[in-house]
Amino acid sequence: MFSRRISIAAVALLALAACAPPGQSAESGAGATGPIKIANVNAQSGQLSSLGQWEHKGVKLAIEEANKAGGINGRQIQLDLFDSQGDPTVGTNVARKISAEGYIAMLGTAESAVTLAMAPILKDAKIPNITSGQSPKLAELKSPFLFLNAPTSVTFDETLAKYLIDDKGYKKIALISNNGAYGSGEHDAFLAALKSRSVTPVADEVVTPDQKDFNSNLAKIREQGPEVLFIGAEEVQSGLIAKQSRELGIKSIFAGGAPMGTDVYADTAGLKNAEGSVVSSPYLSNEASDQIKAFAAKYKAAYNEEARMHVAKAYDGASIMIEALKQTNGEGGQKLADAIRGVKRAGLLGDYTYDANGVGIHATKIGLVKDGKVVPEVAS
Amino acid sequence: MQVFLQTLIGGVTFGAVYALVAMGFSIVYRTMGLVNFAHGSVVMIGAYAASTFYMATHVPFAIAIVVAIAVTGLIGLVIERFLRPLENKDFTLMLIGTIGFGAVLEAGAVLVWGATGHAVPSPVATEPLDLAGVRIPTYNLVVISVAALATGLLALFLQRTKRGAAMQAVAMDHQAATAVGIHVGRSNAMAFAIGAGLAALAGSLIGPMLYVNPTMGGTLGIKGFAAAMLGGFGSMPGAIVGGVAFGLLDAFAAGNFQEYSELVTFLVFAVVVMIRPTGIFGEATVNRA
Repeated sequence: MFSRRISIAAVALLALAACAPPGQSAESGAGATGPIKIANVNAQSGQLSSLGQWEHKGVKLAIEEANKAGGINGRQIQLDLFDSQGDPTVGTNVARKISAEGYIAMLGTAESAVTLAMAPILKDAKIPNITSGQSPKLAELKSPFLFLNAPTSVTFDETLAKYLIDDKGYKKIALISNNGAYGSGEHDAFLAALKSRSVTPVADEVVTPDQKDFNSNLAKIREQGPEVLFIGAEEVQSGLIAKQSRELGIKSIFAGGAPMGTDVYADTAGLKNAEGSVVSSPYLSNEASDQIKAFAAKYKAAYNEEARMHVAKAYDGASIMIEALKQTNGEGGQKLADAIRGVKRAGLLGDYTYDANGVGIHATKIGLVKDGKVVPEVAS
Repeated sequence: MQVFLQTLIGGVTFGAVYALVAMGFSIVYRTMGLVNFAHGSVVMIGAYAASTFYMATHVPFAIAIVVAIAVTGLIGLVIERFLRPLENKDFTLMLIGTIGFGAVLEAGAVLVWGATGHAVPSPVATEPLDLAGVRIPTYNLVVISVAALATGLLALFLQRTKRGAAMQAVAMDHQAATAVGIHVGRSNAMAFAIGAGLAALAGSLIGPMLYVNPTMGGTLGIKGFAAAMLGGFGSMPGAIVGGVAFGLLDAFAAGNFQEYSELVTFLVFAVVVMIRPTGIFGEATVNRA
């Protein structure tokens, strides 16, 4: 009888402990000893979930390595995954949730629109965020808590314009882009790069991110007979545009940013149609350097699939976060943001040196699609 | 002129697919008075079934389509069987049930095929036809003719066969149909199966033109639904005209209104539906609630 009463009391106590408000259970600050809570927010469902899943795998690989090597000065990192569904509204809810539950840092998301929506909340909560978004609008926010793990569209497109116009001498250039966060960023950045070279595009078509039939837009472009067709859209849409262009008999060279370096682009367009596409990207292939080769092999061993840029930049971002956490001894807030800004790292995407806008990489390389794979273009 | 004709090609091809989707919506609606919100997801399952079978076994694409129709027809039967106890009892619950089935199918596709999706190589590998500068991809012609053939067969079935006539009778008055000995449940099941089969046909045809992934049904479902509304919900000729009209509207809006194309398309759609709430072929609406 007596022992039973004790067990009831014990259960009641346990229940009480479980009811402690979120955020209090995980200790934070310099003297804490529990695990360091980092949130990975990425689309795990919805149209952009493939990006989100790659990003998560890259982040997980870096964190697992760090934990195996002893964590942050002895403390383990607890990585929790939140599904943003690629939806800005869901993103803001997640931002409130992670700040309420005591996460000290966030990695992700892969979508500029979602990160843009989350940034003000994370800034107020003083939670540093390393995002995989590339929209120039992210840098324009000038949030001291927002960092990019890749260059912005400005860098991608400046490199592209330099190659196409300065090096190759193309003059007749047409644009097609979507009006989503990524597409409009690409459109504005490439147009600015053209303008600075006094080149006016022969056509400038804007489509919606959901559009599947481009016959009308492409027929107008075909009339102008451009030498180069710049495509500012995500992987699948870029592929559809390339495929329909060739079906319409457009012979232009396709040019664009990182999405066109993926197998999704090449498969959607068809290998023959994608052949020769010009890609501007900081991560051209899994064979670009010894460091990247080693990473790609490690990734393949862990997940039995090929590495790609999205994986690599998520890994770079997570590695920078780990390095900064080591410096602050696991402390978050302003101190962590300052530490991230101070990190100098020779990463997979290039050399990271953060500026005041949170941009760490300031150069991309040019590659050409051959047989569905990107081959680095030797500088001419 | 070339731009106009080229836009026409794209519009008619996508319109043919929207028409198939709209016919699926309509055949279920006219028989049961129910909007099947899982229809878009069934289109997606059809696209996956056909493309997976086609790419894995390398059989002719036509056989892959038949397999996809069989698979999704079965799914249609399952959905109807689940909803049957609610027939004539709780209409709202049936409606929510179809929404639920849509979510289940989408989640199921992620489980089976993963979230990434796949591109489908075109089954017709010939060069596009060139008519005075207007290029017509041969596959587009296949899509248009198959859609037309399917429409013709369905019309024959509904008008010339006993079962088809029975379905028409249930659509007109299910109580009277029951009185003359028509099995309403079986007729409903058949409507669901045919609807799902049409969805599969639409999905398998559009697969090689797009990228097959678990969320592809969303847009196709919405546009097919809008096409059915435009033509007159429940009317078969309306579904065809509505589908092609919506495809053309979409295509010409894209060329002329750029990023505002979607806004313009649905604005025109809203105005048409406001002027003619019963759609172009305004059939008297079925209300079985």
